[in-house]
Amino acid sequence: MNEWQPKILAFLCNWCSYAGADLAGVSRIQYPPNVRVVRVPCSGRVNPIFILKSLENGFDGVLVSGCHPGDCHYISGNYIARRKFAVLKAALEFMGVEPGRVQFSWVSAGEGEKFAQVIGQVTDTVKGLGPAKRLVKTAEAPGVAG
Amino acid sequence: MKAGGSEQELREAARKLLKDKKVGVVVGYARGTGELRSTPAFIRHGKDADRLIFDRTCGISLVPHLRKALKALPKGAKAAVVAKGCDGRALVQYMAEGQLKRDDVVIVGVACDGVLDPRKSDVLSDSCLRCRYPNPPVYDVFVAEPKAVGAGDEYAAVTEFEKLGPEERWGWFQTQFAKCIRCYACRNACPMCYCEECFVDQTNPLWFGKSAEQPDTAMFHIVRALHTAGRCVDCGACERACPLGVRLGLLNKRIEKEIKERFGYTAGLDPEATPALATYDEEDKQEFIL
Amino acid sequence: MSSILKIRKQELDQLVAALVARYRLFGPVDLDGTTVLREVRSADELRLGAALDEPAKTVFFPQTETLLHYDGDKVEAPAGRDKPTAILGIRPCDAKSLVLLDRVFRTGTHQDSFWQRRHEDSLVVGLGCSLPLETCFCNWMNLGPFNADGSDVMLTDIGDAYIAESCTDKGERFLKAAYKSQVQRPSDADLDKAGAVRGRARAALKPPVDVPAVKKALAGLWDSPLWDELTLECLSCAACAYLCPTCHCFDIQDEKVPGTSRGRRIRIWDTCMAALFTKEASGHNPRGSGKERMRQRIMHKFSYFVDNFGEAACVGCGRCIRMCPVSLDVRRVLERVRDEGAAKDQKSAKGVASAV
Repeated sequence: MNEWQPKILAFLCNWCSYAGADLAGVSRIQYPPNVRVVRVPCSGRVNPIFILKSLENGFDGVLVSGCHPGDCHYISGNYIARRKFAVLKAALEFMGVEPGRVQFSWVSAGEGEKFAQVIGQVTDTVKGLGPAKRLVKTAEAPGVAG
Repeated sequence: MKAGGSEQELREAARKLLKDKKVGVVVGYARGTGELRSTPAFIRHGKDADRLIFDRTCGISLVPHLRKALKALPKGAKAAVVAKGCDGRALVQYMAEGQLKRDDVVIVGVACDGVLDPRKSDVLSDSCLRCRYPNPPVYDVFVAEPKAVGAGDEYAAVTEFEKLGPEERWGWFQTQFAKCIRCYACRNACPMCYCEECFVDQTNPLWFGKSAEQPDTAMFHIVRALHTAGRCVDCGACERACPLGVRLGLLNKRIEKEIKERFGYTAGLDPEATPALATYDEEDKQEFIL
Repeated sequence: MSSILKIRKQELDQLVAALVARYRLFGPVDLDGTTVLREVRSADELRLGAALDEPAKTVFFPQTETLLHYDGDKVEAPAGRDKPTAILGIRPCDAKSLVLLDRVFRTGTHQDSFWQRRHEDSLVVGLGCSLPLETCFCNWMNLGPFNADGSDVMLTDIGDAYIAESCTDKGERFLKAAYKSQVQRPSDADLDKAGAVRGRARAALKPPVDVPAVKKALAGLWDSPLWDELTLECLSCAACAYLCPTCHCFDIQDEKVPGTSRGRRIRIWDTCMAALFTKEASGHNPRGSGKERMRQRIMHKFSYFVDNFGEAACVGCGRCIRMCPVSLDVRRVLERVRDEGAAKDQKSAKGVASAV
């Protein structure tokens, strides 16, 4: 099948979401194979620059997933992250980047099913949006005058 | 000088501060090139105080210059700065961020009627048209009658813009970025951009390219807007500094709106406040989280 | 043998068509309220007469230029030009800047191939300056609102038409080829109008400062406290350098497309006004303060460049003054330098007199 497949990057916090992804795997729960995972110690570690860089590098969708509020291994990392992500999402959508390209979730270590469901949902959304064009950079980027 | 108070009072206040040795320097505005420009002035002697002006040409934020002046002074010496409403808020935000001790600066407040857009010369700057803080919230001396706050919706331009579809919005931003030549006048004029090493100058790693092409330029503006999120006081110095008319302030205003509505925080009003993105509330809204 | 034609403004299409047929044509256009130089195909895209915000150097020395593409070991130079470039509607200051930049990019022994390939065989149809701005000081730099240095054809705006004159053989050949026998001769009244326009423009400029005297003064002012004073206002951004028609410093960077073996090498503008410009790998920075950088800027433009290339690296266009966020005025700097130099001379003359 030559149908285009979206590439999705997921930043998963080590203590909750990554473990939840592991659980999904161990439990043989199926989810779309479009996601690549970067393990981070905490969702609060995720600098919005990483998300923008992912879009620049050609990812069609980015997901950041952390522990549920109150459960952060570092107490408040996810609370801080929650504020940053709200601002990033508002900024990107204001500029015309499609809502749905950049998404956030809380998935705990025991939520293998939820992890699979979130990946499925994000993949479906991004598939519907088509390949990301807004912030992608290639070596052949169009230049300015001359 | 409008809104009550005279340039005479301003100069008197400066002279007095210097004579009483309260400060080593008064950072204010002087006439720049032509009738429509101002330039920063560093007044060290009472006799030079007559250079000080305050009018619609005073669109520079003097806060970056205050920073420089304080650094150049001997330890313990204070500086005074002429502050219109937005610059006064920037100073308060500095205090909230631990960048300035209240005692290190004498704030000479002035009420502001708005400053001119340097590219249009007879039109007020966008940020002034929506200004809600013409008077500095904190000051030592106030050389004018406080100005009444404007009415109307300060986020009207943001709301209007959001009526456009995503393609149009993206297209508008692309047009703005097409004018940008990466001179960083906006960043250097901004009171909030005081990092010793800016993300855009980092090479290990090199986050984003320095070319004037897309998406490099878009990335610079987006990240700068994110780095000033919850800190920007909408003084407009960035837009006025831009030599090529890039209207980069709208994104900052949208972010300011988000932070106000979501977290109830407005930058530059309370020197004791914790900046919005340096804290959290357990009950913060999370409707966008899957 | 110099041609003089009258080109009515509503017939500008003919000039533009003639240029487009032979050249890749650049002219001033409006980009959301900013006047920039872009490639044009027809007269109605043009915004002639508006002050050009960008300097003309963007056409031959763009802010960002790809020097090469690579894919693994394969290296590809960028595609050549199919046509030479023409610029229509730049002022004498911008036109002269291209002459000065050409001396930098094509010395006797070295040719910058990227400048070369854009600049080679290019044609400049200059637009004389009918209304110098308050910030214009081209006459300080031995130029003027209708100076022909760097233009192949010069247009003078007389209201409903332009008087076009060839200034070089290349310009002459172009006008002859473009208009052949359909030349409209300007009437005596037209020529009088043109003369009046030029006279008024020249009269509008303020008396010049002796720039060679400034160069002389600079030699003795390295340690002067003058530089501390002058640079407190400066924000160390790149506005003056990037908007300057003669500034030409650049950086070269390599960029890779992640996950592939492809990438490119780009050249981008750089500025001596940024602290990073001279920061060394050790961390030492010989020009770590704004004062040192400002001194270097002035000395490069008004002293070193004169030594190396015969003229100051300035065309008096005034963009640095208009666009500096803090209204730092290079004319005031030059006047201060001249005055400080004169004061020093006075002092040492007195010293000699009293010693005798």
